[in-house]
Amino acid sequence: MEQFLYYLKVSLKSIRRAPLPYALTILILSLGLGVFFANATFYYRLNADPLPHKSDKLFFPFMNLVPYECQNCEPPNVLSYSNVQKLSATDIPSAKAAMYSADGYLRLTPQQPPLPVKIRLTQPDFFRMFEVPFLHGSTWPDASARAEVILSRHTAEKLFGETDVVGRRLTLDDFEYTVSAVLADWTMLPRLFDANNNNHLSEVEDIYLPLETGYDRNYLSNSQSSSFQDADYRKLATDGRTKAIHQLQFWVQLDTPEQQQAYRQFMANLTADEKKAGRHPSTINNKLVGMRDIVAHFNQQGGDIKAFALVTLLFLLVCLFNASHLSLNRYIANQYEISLRRALGASRWHIQQQALADVLLMAGITAVAALLIGYSGISLMNYLLPANRLFSSWDWALLLSLLAVTLGCSYLVTLYPSLRASFGALNQQLKE
Amino acid sequence: MISLHLIFKSMLRRKVVTSLLLVQLALTLALLSNSSLLALQTWNQLSQPTGLDLDNILYVSLKPTSKNLQEYPAFADLLERQLAAVRQMPGVVAVSHTNQSPLMEGGSNGNVNDENNRENNTQSVPQYTVSPDFLKVLQLDVLEGEIPQKIEAWDGESTVPVVLTKSLAERVFPGKSAIGQLTNGGPVAAVIEDFYGQRSAERVMYNRLQIAQIYGVAWGYGIILRVEPGKAKHIRSQIPDVLKTADANIEIFSVRTMDEQLHRMFRNEFGLATLLAVLSGLMLLVSMISSYSNAHFNALKRQQEIGIKRALGASKQGILLEMLTENWCTTAAGAGVGIVAAWLLNQALALVISIPALPVWLPLSALLMLMCCVTLATWYPATIATRVSPATATKTL
Repeated sequence: MEQFLYYLKVSLKSIRRAPLPYALTILILSLGLGVFFANATFYYRLNADPLPHKSDKLFFPFMNLVPYECQNCEPPNVLSYSNVQKLSATDIPSAKAAMYSADGYLRLTPQQPPLPVKIRLTQPDFFRMFEVPFLHGSTWPDASARAEVILSRHTAEKLFGETDVVGRRLTLDDFEYTVSAVLADWTMLPRLFDANNNNHLSEVEDIYLPLETGYDRNYLSNSQSSSFQDADYRKLATDGRTKAIHQLQFWVQLDTPEQQQAYRQFMANLTADEKKAGRHPSTINNKLVGMRDIVAHFNQQGGDIKAFALVTLLFLLVCLFNASHLSLNRYIANQYEISLRRALGASRWHIQQQALADVLLMAGITAVAALLIGYSGISLMNYLLPANRLFSSWDWALLLSLLAVTLGCSYLVTLYPSLRASFGALNQQLKE
Repeated sequence: MISLHLIFKSMLRRKVVTSLLLVQLALTLALLSNSSLLALQTWNQLSQPTGLDLDNILYVSLKPTSKNLQEYPAFADLLERQLAAVRQMPGVVAVSHTNQSPLMEGGSNGNVNDENNRENNTQSVPQYTVSPDFLKVLQLDVLEGEIPQKIEAWDGESTVPVVLTKSLAERVFPGKSAIGQLTNGGPVAAVIEDFYGQRSAERVMYNRLQIAQIYGVAWGYGIILRVEPGKAKHIRSQIPDVLKTADANIEIFSVRTMDEQLHRMFRNEFGLATLLAVLSGLMLLVSMISSYSNAHFNALKRQQEIGIKRALGASKQGILLEMLTENWCTTAAGAGVGIVAAWLLNQALALVISIPALPVWLPLSALLMLMCCVTLATWYPATIATRVSPATATKTL
């Protein structure tokens, strides 16, 4: 320890002798790492798997079951009510849930000012499939229509001032409902169960309503609603259930490869039967897309963040080259002193230990500066690309990785100069 | 006279340092070229013709907060009261309802085709349901036919005539007049001037209008108004109160000028271009630091050599020019590699974002800028080098 403190003291002395080159090396390295940190934060968060132990078991089935002829077409991004009914008519999946989202206005009494809320209209298995935790109450017993809502904790607190509100009444869009449950704190980022139209970048909804009730009350999707035949989308209770109004997402849980194969076969049989009955005029194009691939399927993998990731990596590379260059100049300037120490008996290992002390000191200062620059970079990116703002926080795993990168980069920057200083021809170096 | 041979020899003597400098100069040029290209692309998108008076058209996005008010006939009455209230505001020239705003990424859209010839089927055409004053708000001329003056209701029985923009009419009915022709949405009543509808459409100027009631307000609706020049700011601040006075049971999502709509549509491109511009600035700063440090260190190491040259009659200007030339040579060599790197980076970026091919003049301009920055950074250490006294420098020989 004493020896290490001595090496640190020598490093500090060397810095004091020529502070400008050292400050420039730190500045350049911090700039490169800071910009890299800012982008790495978004990249890491946006590509995170919110259900790592389960995401390989969750699938979204797509099929081209639409009332028009289209050769080699991609299936629609959303399904109709009748398609979901057909895809649900099997016991192969361990769980299945159709869903969509809508907007509404919540009140405790008709006299109260309305609270704008985001609604997810879904079925009971949704909460089991996506591991949504309950604080009070439980999910609906079945998928039938009922005037019961499930509130997020935040919404319950905002509306009632407390969370234990199971059984209490509220008004949603002029209709009365009973609160059947309140969720515990829950977030899912990215929200992969709804990745169409970049919705996976949004927060989870405030309130949950049975899907059948949503259709009865004519809630239209606030994300995508496509009609493939003459239909009145204001009449979801009737036309929505029987005609080709597509607005639903549908997820199935298939735990084993056998289940997955069986469900694929079920889809193939279903579309073949529909074709035979003349209800599938388009080319058959069934897809069973896994949760991990759903963002890529919708082609919504933030190109701007990827592009910026590419250039920030290049920038980090430039900064590393530059800092190495400055560091090399610094070591060459100190060559005489290092050679003198070697001539007086210091081994190459001692010189390397000195370099290691330099690295630790540099990594410490650089990490602080890089985190400050990274934080400023994140603020700037939140301002310029606000769609990604939910993905800008640091956690310990990310911070530790970033610190390890800083240490690695500081070592790389010092490695060649210190080796050159330790292994050069001593006579020649002393003569210079 | 400067010997390029000696300069290259000096550069080769410091192989590692020179290589590091070359790599970073090459990468700087690559990034500078591509970020300038992206900034230029965003600028071109923002300044492309929209057919709209961007500063004097306001769009209010809103929705009734009660289910009763969201349905006809209550909604028709609400809309009438709102339009009347806005129309009475001093400085308002014209006002119309609309289901959506122009200048959007996407929105309500559908197919438009000639019912007698579906070959020219056009997909994703924005569909507007508006009142007749919509054209006055947007200041669009009627090129053919007549704009229906009656606002049709969606009763599911009668067909509602359609109005097409010029480019869409030419696409669906090539070589003939569109007036009276039957589309899948109804007969064509008029053809109007082009305006920018939705960015995700097949062509941004393709638009279809119907003079009709708003079909449904699940996604909200819009009130669009033209104001007298210079009045937009004042009216914009007043309009929420005016609308709330007409009926308090509404939520107003936003009040924007068309110019803001346009900027919002290209927000991502603008954001990325700004980020790349900041990064390019940082890269130039890093290159300047590098050039400064390289020249400074070089001058210190070559004090004796410079002193001897001075003693043998080299002028201060000659030494300065030699130092600068060495840096220019390094920059030029780096730029040579940089042009290839710029092209490669352009290809890599094209895989993830929409970016045009790199024109030749752009890397050359970037090289010029890099040269200026490098010269600026080298000037001070080079000047210091010229001050080396021959007597002092040769003292230890």
